[in-house]
Amino acid sequence: MNDEPVRSNPAEGSGKELVEELKGTLEKARQLVRQLENQLVRAGVPIPRGPDQELAARLARTEADVKELAAQLAASERQISRLMNLYVATYQLHATLTPEEVLQTIAEIAVNLLGAKKFVVILRRDGGQGFEVALAQGLEASDAAFFSGEEYRGGEVGVDATLADGVLRLAPIPKSTMVAVVPLKVQGELVGVLAVLELLPHKPALRPEDRELLDLLSAHAASALFAARILATKDRRLRTLESLIKLARGE
Amino acid sequence: MQPKKVLAVDDSKLMLRMYEVMLRGTPLVLAENGLQALEVLRQHRDVDLVLLDINMPLMNGLEFLEALKKEGRLPGLPVIVVSTDGEEDQIAKGLAAGATAYLTKPFDAEKLRAAIAALPENP
Repeated sequence: MNDEPVRSNPAEGSGKELVEELKGTLEKARQLVRQLENQLVRAGVPIPRGPDQELAARLARTEADVKELAAQLAASERQISRLMNLYVATYQLHATLTPEEVLQTIAEIAVNLLGAKKFVVILRRDGGQGFEVALAQGLEASDAAFFSGEEYRGGEVGVDATLADGVLRLAPIPKSTMVAVVPLKVQGELVGVLAVLELLPHKPALRPEDRELLDLLSAHAASALFAARILATKDRRLRTLESLIKLARGE
Repeated sequence: MQPKKVLAVDDSKLMLRMYEVMLRGTPLVLAENGLQALEVLRQHRDVDLVLLDINMPLMNGLEFLEALKKEGRLPGLPVIVVSTDGEEDQIAKGLAAGATAYLTKPFDAEKLRAAIAALPENP
């Protein structure tokens, strides 16, 4: 068994090494003081209490500094971990211009990064008439009341409220069983919601850091999806136009 | 342990990208299913750690572990199963199939590093 942590990041490794080195040095200093005191006792020399107390106080201050440094390092590592998740989620959302792949990425983020077991993505239809269920995963028969088929007809209180005001809602939501209802926006305009109905069994609740991921989905998921849809539509129209031109030329 | 080369197996592009970011600095090879992973392992004999998803097309994680056993690569090669399935019986099934450790999704870089560091040097 090796207690040495895996060092995939040289910067993190050097920070940990520094803290460990400081701890080691403090321990050596403590041993040296003890050895010195023992030697003085054996030689019958009275131990100079004044400087020793000052040394002890400095040692305590240094130990407190090391502890604070270690805590700051741990906090930085947690922050780096969160930023990694956010970076990868953003990167992957914008890595494709195929609508199906963007939806797949939203699903992967919901499952793998958020820990969602059941969720739906509801989007406003073109022309603003009604809402479509663009993506649904893990739904059971008991969820069919609101999210069956390809259309969302309304009725789920939490979802309706967010579709009306564009505000992110987290459980407990009055009169709603949703875990989270995330507004999906394109350039600030509400175009739909991501509704999380249930989390994976080993994830009892959303954590404070999940809020950053939900905010990211709110800002990026719909814009990535709409960009992909616009491109797909333009591509289809271009191909139709090309076919018509060929037909007109008799090719 | 401190791996020299890691094979990450997952049908999610997001997860493969996540491993690339989390394990930067460590040589990494990728596969999208168990079948592809077996081929990658044949090409990269120096892989000394596998991060393995369970639910994948063509060949799932448990089938991959069975294939590794048949090839005589287990228990010599440490395998961390990384799955959304956190039920006790699923974890037991993964470990019984030859996995060295089990990590549930979602996880962060800290948890992944801790799981790798906790692996025995010679499984």
